[in-house]
Amino acid sequence: MDNYFNKVSGKDIEFFEKLLGSRNVSISEVELVANSVDAYPGGFYKPEIVVWPESSEQVGEVLRYAYERKIPVYPKGGGTGLTGTVPIYGGILLSLVKMNKIIEVYEEDMQVRVQPGIIYDRLNKELERYGLFFPPDPSSGSWCTIGGMVASNSSGLKAVKYGTTREYVLGLEVGLPDGRIIRIGSRTFKYSTGFDLLKMMIGSQGTLGVFTEITLRLKNLPEYFQTAIAFFPSVESAVRAVYHIVRRGLDMAAIEFMDEKMMRAVAEYRKIDFPESQAMLLVEAHGSKMAVLETMEKCIHLLEENKSIEVRVAKDVEEREKFWAARKGAYPATLRLGRYMIISDIVVPLSKLYDAVQNSYELGRKYGVHASVIGHFGDGNLHVHWSAGNDRDKVEDLHRANDELARWAIDVGGAVSGEHGIGTEKKKFVKQQFREAFDLMLKIKKLVDPKCILSPGIIFDLEEVIQ
Amino acid sequence: MTLPELSEIERKLGEYLEDVWKCIRCGFCNSVCPTSNTSRSYMSSLTSRGRLILLQAYFSNILSKSLKDEEIQELMEYCFGCRRCIEICPAGVRIPNLIWRVKQLNEKPRYLRKFILTHYGELLRLFSKFPRFSNLFLHSHIGKILLELTVGVSRRIDFPSFNHSLEGWINKRRRNNGFRGRLAYFIDVFTNYHEVELGKKIVEFVEKLGYIVVAPPQREAGTLLLEEGLIEEAYRVAKENVENLYDIVQSGAKILTSSPAAYLALKKDYPELLGDTKSRIVSENTIDIIQLLLNEYEDGRIDFEIPLYDRLVYHHSCFTKASGLTKDIRRILMLAGYNLLELDVCCGIGGIWGMNKSNYEISLEIGLDLFNELKRINLPVTSQSETCRIQIKNNALVDVRHPFSFIVDRVKINKE
Repeated sequence: MDNYFNKVSGKDIEFFEKLLGSRNVSISEVELVANSVDAYPGGFYKPEIVVWPESSEQVGEVLRYAYERKIPVYPKGGGTGLTGTVPIYGGILLSLVKMNKIIEVYEEDMQVRVQPGIIYDRLNKELERYGLFFPPDPSSGSWCTIGGMVASNSSGLKAVKYGTTREYVLGLEVGLPDGRIIRIGSRTFKYSTGFDLLKMMIGSQGTLGVFTEITLRLKNLPEYFQTAIAFFPSVESAVRAVYHIVRRGLDMAAIEFMDEKMMRAVAEYRKIDFPESQAMLLVEAHGSKMAVLETMEKCIHLLEENKSIEVRVAKDVEEREKFWAARKGAYPATLRLGRYMIISDIVVPLSKLYDAVQNSYELGRKYGVHASVIGHFGDGNLHVHWSAGNDRDKVEDLHRANDELARWAIDVGGAVSGEHGIGTEKKKFVKQQFREAFDLMLKIKKLVDPKCILSPGIIFDLEEVIQ
Repeated sequence: MTLPELSEIERKLGEYLEDVWKCIRCGFCNSVCPTSNTSRSYMSSLTSRGRLILLQAYFSNILSKSLKDEEIQELMEYCFGCRRCIEICPAGVRIPNLIWRVKQLNEKPRYLRKFILTHYGELLRLFSKFPRFSNLFLHSHIGKILLELTVGVSRRIDFPSFNHSLEGWINKRRRNNGFRGRLAYFIDVFTNYHEVELGKKIVEFVEKLGYIVVAPPQREAGTLLLEEGLIEEAYRVAKENVENLYDIVQSGAKILTSSPAAYLALKKDYPELLGDTKSRIVSENTIDIIQLLLNEYEDGRIDFEIPLYDRLVYHHSCFTKASGLTKDIRRILMLAGYNLLELDVCCGIGGIWGMNKSNYEISLEIGLDLFNELKRINLPVTSQSETCRIQIKNNALVDVRHPFSFIVDRVKINKE
């Protein structure tokens, strides 16, 4: 497969410089290297050239040219992805960070149309003045782009109430691999006009098209919120509480879980005192003051009914921040256990949450690695932090444990990724996850991108697409 | 890379080599890094994360260039040591400290600049002995050109005027009986030679509280040397200052600062650089004037007389944030009756980084939103950092002063 694609030549560089201007083209080694990784701890894959288009038309021209020349193209946003969406076949790194404008805010419609390179937090900062926000809230929000979020259907801590990016994308302008620019979706909440190509594009991680414009629906900023943390004598009682909260239909904005190992790491890192317990839940409700107070009262009752040792309700914004700091401290706290760590992103039916936690512990023991669990339990999403400390020899075991858990998740009706995507990291699970449907996915890929110039090696193996 | 070169580089990076591998490339540092949010930083190599990726690539044998290479060194220059990244990095990478060590590898001949930077304390002392002549020279066209040619400081910078040193004024001063103990003022160059009036007010005020103020033998804080990658020189300065201050601390005095760079140097940089007991003891006994005021207030020794509740813009300087003094300053300003509008935005100056000819334009670009906002608000501004005040004053054209200046007239000393 090494010779399948053409290499970027001097003539190609000239073409791009003429099209985009020389400041929007780089073949400098430092720039290529700086674009050779994302936040997944994998290897370095250098593109041959980096280009920065500034308009949809330029994106279309880059794609058209690359398609003709059979040069791979890897679209890139903030580069915060966790699954290795990197230029493994070299080629063109199509950075969209210069296309970072808000094109229009439709205040009355509660919608916004943006270019793909705008950063999540910056968009929400701008939307504040309209009393609106785009809710998915990924933890990489300070640097990830909206285009990247749509490409990986990312979400975050409040998906239990607000859902994932998918629920907010109303329309897309997409550059297809051959350079055609098409518009899909609409500016209405519903339509019944044939195949839902929009949903097909979301989460495709740059394998079907390059998003050049995105129309999002927005939510009103919540009027009021309340947060509480609860401690449990066992993982089982915490999971049971989650189950009852969801079953009762309480409108929670967050139901976050943290196990005892994680609590210990966080307590040490953040210098916080937690009561003696085996698990912690952080719950939060958003909405009108009356609704929030009523929801939280019911929620606290359920927490207590499920053997919670202690429930602490945030008295003010400062205390709420402390609660969230504890939850968000999980990642840095585990990073301090050592250099070698990977994080799983499995999602399981709620009835399997307890088994998922227990299974993680068993796998941790089996492979001799540290396993601690946090999760957005309201939507069944678990992040097991597998750590081998600084023992390089245990890295393979980290992957074995992670892989075994992922296979188990698929077997029980879950998925290998709740919010991070497939990339190169979880490619091996796609077939197992989708079985017969994988062939259909592959056929769609072949139909849209027969030469496989868009993100080859991501989600699908190149061989599978071009054979 | 050759093996001897690699081992030399690893040796110079020392314990910070481990930080290269701690980085998980999440990009959080980019979101707060002033130079990673400019019109040039669409290029990944010009961002904070980009620099860390390059270091990882170098040690993975992916990058063919040496870390000594001019291009790599130029990229490292984009880190001016604001330290905003330290607070946000989930992996605990000590990014500025690491980059300083990489800058240390710069082999570009810069003898004159290096000489001037390593002796700038002495040079400023000399200038302050003849303030009239120095000011005439520094504000003249020829003086500015000479400064640009020799040290690289942009001729467009308006240097603050020189005065006779505060140190000299303190040492000539008749002491009171000082029933509350001794304070050794670690002044740093700006207050010592330029903003002498602020220093005098601080001294007079703490004397009224019953302290004796002395100016011990001291050199510049040396933060500038770290930012330039002159680690050995910074080490020497730190050692000298700690030796001088340690003896005074042992005799029962506390070290007083008013500059965030001086405070940061004593509190964090010196203990990290020297790693010895003396620097830790000096660190533990260092107090900023704002903290001293808060302590006095907590102990009931001072109160505030509020003529009216004024609005004031509080600019969070990078060093104030890094030193953890932001909350204390906020609290004391509010106690003094100010209704604060807080702006946590870098002004772009980065010590003397933004004064360098090569960085001057980008420094203004970083600060542009802040300057426009301050012009629009048109209220007095307080910022603890000296160079931030220069930058804000020159570009937003507003009244900007140290927090102490806004507080001192409102303090009422309670009788014992």
